[in-house]
Amino acid sequence: MRRIFSQARKELTQITRDRLALALALLLPLFLILLLSNAIAFTVTDLPMVVQDFDGSPQSREFIAAFRSSLTFRIVAWPPDKPAEEALTSNTAKAVLVIPPHFGRQFVSGRSTEVQVLVDATDANTARLIQGYATQITQSFSLVGTTSRPLVGASIRLWYNPGRESQKFYAPGMFVLGISMFPPLLAALAMAKEGEQKTILQVYVSSISAHEFLLGKIAAFIVIALCEWVISMAALYLVFGLRLVGDPTPLLVATVLYAFCVAAYGTLIGAAIPNQAAAIQAVALGGFLLVFLLSGLMFPVENIPAGLRWISNIVWGKYYIVIVRDALLQGGGWPAMWFSVLMIGVIGAFFYFMAWLRMRAMQVKA
Amino acid sequence: MKKFREHDFWDRLRALLKKEFNQLRRDRRFAVALIVPPTLQMLLFGFALNSDVSNLRLGIIDDSRSPESRELIASFTESKSFRHAGMFVDSKELEAQISRGKLDAGLVIPYNFADRILRGTPLNVQLLFNAVNANTAAIGTGYAQGILQTYNIGLNAGAMRGSSLRRITTRTAFLYNPGLISSWFIVTGTFGVLLILNGSLVASTAMIKEREAGTVEQLLMTPAGTTEIILAKITPLFVFLMCTVLLAVALMRFVFDVPMRGNLLLVLGAAALCTLCGIGIGTFVATFTRSAQQAQLMSFFVNPPLATLSGSLAPIEAMPQWLQPVTVFNPIRHFGIISRGTLLKGAGLDILWPHFLALIAFTLVLVSLSVWRFRKQLG
Repeated sequence: MRRIFSQARKELTQITRDRLALALALLLPLFLILLLSNAIAFTVTDLPMVVQDFDGSPQSREFIAAFRSSLTFRIVAWPPDKPAEEALTSNTAKAVLVIPPHFGRQFVSGRSTEVQVLVDATDANTARLIQGYATQITQSFSLVGTTSRPLVGASIRLWYNPGRESQKFYAPGMFVLGISMFPPLLAALAMAKEGEQKTILQVYVSSISAHEFLLGKIAAFIVIALCEWVISMAALYLVFGLRLVGDPTPLLVATVLYAFCVAAYGTLIGAAIPNQAAAIQAVALGGFLLVFLLSGLMFPVENIPAGLRWISNIVWGKYYIVIVRDALLQGGGWPAMWFSVLMIGVIGAFFYFMAWLRMRAMQVKA
Repeated sequence: MKKFREHDFWDRLRALLKKEFNQLRRDRRFAVALIVPPTLQMLLFGFALNSDVSNLRLGIIDDSRSPESRELIASFTESKSFRHAGMFVDSKELEAQISRGKLDAGLVIPYNFADRILRGTPLNVQLLFNAVNANTAAIGTGYAQGILQTYNIGLNAGAMRGSSLRRITTRTAFLYNPGLISSWFIVTGTFGVLLILNGSLVASTAMIKEREAGTVEQLLMTPAGTTEIILAKITPLFVFLMCTVLLAVALMRFVFDVPMRGNLLLVLGAAALCTLCGIGIGTFVATFTRSAQQAQLMSFFVNPPLATLSGSLAPIEAMPQWLQPVTVFNPIRHFGIISRGTLLKGAGLDILWPHFLALIAFTLVLVSLSVWRFRKQLG
């Protein structure tokens, strides 16, 4: 126990001496959260729209005004003699609203009419949103000033995030991404350095056992990860207005396990690849690519084709993202989260075991 | 005299080029770095980032239990958007399932649903959405509205012809991507990210190598001037990276079925500019760092902002207003507009020229900056 402690202290001393690395490890995640949570969003607003009004009646102008007054669309000018499709090709607009002749007359006489919306579907998600918004605006416009309303309406309740702020969804994801990248990066570098500079041989000849050595190293990087956690959590709290809802114990338990998991991952990489440049790439693959792409950080995991989807079951970030989002938004507590907490523990234990196997093998060799 | 020296210049350059080409050709790790990461990244990004919203798990409370309510439920669950995920009796249970993440949405049909429909009095059904993911909630709400709209039209048609309800229907035409395939957007954007990020990484590794091996002095002792050394360094990198470009184009065409509507030469031209940008960034980074490891660490920190502030993964329009202008300074953004414009929309140079100008400007600035730094170091 004493040896674990001194190993951890030695490691921490080494890290704190490298001021630059330390500052990067603690502040970069913060920067990442602030920047990426803002940069990644899909609920577009203020979309440029071109209107082609072939009617020119008071009704059609009112209809256009309904679009103009929405937050979603911004009407931009387009010469009437140019084909409207060019507005989409040239990125002047994302959508074109085409109002047919006789629109006003039909509307006043109470008959049904049709308008056309041309959508730039290059980005499928935005296209879907435009379709939904345009339908909603049209629907509410056709009801204005009439007593009749559709027989079945919907009262829609949006839970947990009523303002549909996408930052509340992405900020916890970026928070997890930061913790999945930087502590393992430092751990892998520290471990690979021992291999590169052959100081690992001194460890072999010392009386410290593989378990003590690994646990000491990992403990140091758990401390780093937890410091990072506190700083990043403060950002979530202050900048994005996220609060703990419901029972916080699943989050706390999962956080300690996750800190262990990422520290063990970094140590394993460093032990397996005693070359700092290559170790960085390996951490980039596991810490960044996997957690960014296969964890449900941006889009639901169910959307990934089945051939790739199974990989996400072993991506540790996936489970922690679910837990953080639950703790900050939904509040499902233990009944919803026990499995994810368990999986983080299992994956962490696996990384530790592999690192231990690796260390033991090297000790015998040396 | 002058003619003689010019001849010398080409001779020396040819010799140096031969050396660099041979060195890179024999470097197996370089070949791997050229092929594996771009392929892997394009496939992973293209397949994993899928913005489809479909098969939302819908829990239902049907207090009416009538043919009418079952018809409404059917029109929800028969659509591709929603999937029947269980009937509930108690609203507490439904809420608990949503909060545990077992359901994405809930539909509550009141007990007097059938009555009111038969009498023709309007009523509301309740729709609950788990809005943790704002995007899913926004699109799901749109779907639900559409389904209800169709359901109402059906009711009207069944009840009485020419009902008093006047309607405006929107007909949506999805241009350029009628199947709403989300990978087309991601892949055409990732293309630019690959060019810049991999280009810079490969370039910085190659540039640092000579320094790490300590053979720079030997190069300086040859009669070759700095211009020749730099040209000889950059040319083979450019040639090899352009092979990666062709590989990426092939992946887009044959794996993701991206239509190539416009002139492919425009994309290749833009890709060449982007590659030069990448080489410029890589060389620049290499002059500041001492080892390959440092250069890689630097890319670890620079890449995420470069990639996400480019509009290649998420639409720029969705970023907050203060952040949107920043993307103008990102070459990846301009490349993304060019690649999407040409490949998906079939746009030509008459529309895309401002973005080409921007790319040319970036290339000139980055390459001359890196050459200047490199020269300074050699001198």
